[in-house]
Amino acid sequence: MIRVIPGDPALTVAGVDASESDIAAIRAKLGTDKPLAAQYGQWLLDVFRFDFGHSLTSGRPVTQLILERFPLTLSLAVLGIILSVLIAIPLGVISAVQRWSFWDYLGMLFSQAGMAIPSFWLGILLLLLLSIKYRVFPLFGSGSFSHLVLPSVSLGIARAAVLLRLTRASMIEELSREYIITARAKGLTERMVNYKHALKNALLPVITIAGIQLGYMLGGAIIIEQVFSLPGLGRLFLFAVYQRDFPLIQGGVVFVAFVFSFINFSVDLLYSLLNPRIRIT
Amino acid sequence: MNGKLSSIIIICLAMIVSCLFSPAATHAGVKTVNFALSGNPDTLDPHGTSGTLTFQTLKSVYDTLVEPDPTGKIVPALAEKWAVSEDGLTWTFTLRSGVLFHNGDPLTSKDVKATIERIQNKETGSPNANEFAPIVGIETPDDLTVILRLKAPSAPLLGTLASGWGAILPKSLIDSKHDFAQKPVGTGPFKLTEWIRDGKIVLEKNPDYWMKGLPRVDKVIMHIIPERAVQVQGLISGQIDISYIIDREDVPLLTSSPDVKIKKSLTSLIMVMAMNCSRPPLNDLRVRQAINYAIDKKKVLDVAYGGGEPIGTFMDYSNAYYRDFTNLYPYDPAKAKKLLAEAGVGKDTVLEMFLPQNYPPHVKAGEIYQDMLARVGLNVKIKLVDWSTWIGDVYRKARFDLTVIGHTGKLDPNGTLSNFGIKEKKYVRWDHPGAAALIAEAARTTGFENRKTLYDQALALMAKEVPFVFLGSSYRRVGIRKNISDFRMTPSLDTFDFRWTDIQ
Repeated sequence: MIRVIPGDPALTVAGVDASESDIAAIRAKLGTDKPLAAQYGQWLLDVFRFDFGHSLTSGRPVTQLILERFPLTLSLAVLGIILSVLIAIPLGVISAVQRWSFWDYLGMLFSQAGMAIPSFWLGILLLLLLSIKYRVFPLFGSGSFSHLVLPSVSLGIARAAVLLRLTRASMIEELSREYIITARAKGLTERMVNYKHALKNALLPVITIAGIQLGYMLGGAIIIEQVFSLPGLGRLFLFAVYQRDFPLIQGGVVFVAFVFSFINFSVDLLYSLLNPRIRIT
Repeated sequence: MNGKLSSIIIICLAMIVSCLFSPAATHAGVKTVNFALSGNPDTLDPHGTSGTLTFQTLKSVYDTLVEPDPTGKIVPALAEKWAVSEDGLTWTFTLRSGVLFHNGDPLTSKDVKATIERIQNKETGSPNANEFAPIVGIETPDDLTVILRLKAPSAPLLGTLASGWGAILPKSLIDSKHDFAQKPVGTGPFKLTEWIRDGKIVLEKNPDYWMKGLPRVDKVIMHIIPERAVQVQGLISGQIDISYIIDREDVPLLTSSPDVKIKKSLTSLIMVMAMNCSRPPLNDLRVRQAINYAIDKKKVLDVAYGGGEPIGTFMDYSNAYYRDFTNLYPYDPAKAKKLLAEAGVGKDTVLEMFLPQNYPPHVKAGEIYQDMLARVGLNVKIKLVDWSTWIGDVYRKARFDLTVIGHTGKLDPNGTLSNFGIKEKKYVRWDHPGAAALIAEAARTTGFENRKTLYDQALALMAKEVPFVFLGSSYRRVGIRKNISDFRMTPSLDTFDFRWTDIQ
């Protein structure tokens, strides 16, 4: 599909000054001079051999390019999700247990704001405050944990906002169930009722969504990587599209699809651990 | 509940505190320049791309036979001297002795031969191969002499040999199919020791560099930072020493900082709005003239490009071949309206203007053009396209009425002007065999004065027939920390030269 949009990778490599014969040589080298169907067929065959081809602009194996960038983006997404869970679940539970209290309003305010603030804007604000005014975190670069803090915070806040609402809603629903009344009637303490019974059940939908959010966070990382000058997958794919680097785009799509399904599958597995009623057959 | 909450808070705090220990301190005694690069080079093979970022990086890693000095004059580099035969067909270069490649190989004439053959080899797919086409034979009578045999006299060849794509590679590694795209090995002032894609490029001093006492710094770290705002803040806070893409909007902020200075110089860019001379109504000279009268060039240059010097023809302002034609079409909307009325062009004619969205200044300029043209009664529709589309559809296939772009300067005027006047060769589709003949003749002619006479006539024809709105050459602003001295940029090529750079 992407080859239907205008743009020729050979021309991007050649630039504005190259002559027609130079361009023909580049096309031959890249293999884009062959018919579209032949190129696609070759690509499909190679994919079954786990060979995603070579990037047109840098000439390096696509698999290598992706694997080189993936750890950073993954750690960004995982840190982000951990952070959002750490914020969302306690706040959500307090909001639900003490409904319409000060904490509840605070939590709701946070989630409203978190959903409304774009993560790149939050990223810029955090940079201004914590890297420029108070030089706690580095302004750019990568390689250490401190480089990941601000980007994952900016990614995590928006996700936390969503998860917080979900936790609160799910918790309120569980608390209104009949087994809670039974638990209370048994004479269990409020603490036991809230955390042992209600929370455990309320967490199920939260985990599903958190898992899906992890996938989306890989996407959200694209903009954040740009703001924080991080060498992750997002920037790799962004430039691949700009430069019509077809093997890299195709490899990227397959890779992201694979990661998405892997996450979904893992979430399903996690389910059965948390809730013995769900068995994987 | 409180216990659980507080433990979470403690964990969070511990995470934050642990980060406080990381900022890396520079080692005492090692002079390191932190440079902000605005993007990641696609490849580091000087013969595999046309990307400016690649040549900007490689300028420090490779040398060329000859190179431009700060005034743009071509001076010896790896070649100590050179001579051109009377008929212009034999060029003899004498190489400097004792030059070493980063892998220890001494530089010999064999390396030069292997390099030029690599560029000419179709399998390399060099976008600049055509510039080396005049060379039909390379002889190496001894280790330090290279003789190039040409099929016809070619004045532009010297400029080509001085450009980034004329970088000399070691023969032994060319033969062993070394991966130059990842690991460049040259004779340059710095060795490339680390490249984290989209992260940073680390250059370390080559102690055996052939220019004695240079380079002066031990290390240059090019941090790849796409966001301009981050570069500016890095400059103010001292995490960055040099940033070469300072916008006029950032100037007040930077000048208010006591540690930063701003160096303003003229770029070799030729900023234009191109007109497709093969499409009606732009094939009518009166319409192109009207468009030129309708544009307040100084204003566009100031607002969209942060200021510059207006030009009236297709040559950059600081070029030795530049001639002033700016008074030919002054800003005169009334005259523009009159010409349009004569040509019978009214509101019902829609002109499509294609703007490359990855270049915000061109987009801004396009919007101002649209507004100015609307005032004389021209209906312009803007279409934003990405770079690949621009190169493919607009530039190569000429599917446009109007477009806004900047042409980079070239070391030799032939690079700027070749093929103009031949309708199907240039995107403006300007048909003028007379101009094309002058330009072709100038490429075969030697001697500055002889060539200039020919180019003067060609440039005059372009200025009169206006296949473009010639806008001007814009300023470049480089932000530098005050303790950094002598950072240079190569004229016309816009590459970075750290050889004389020092830290106080």
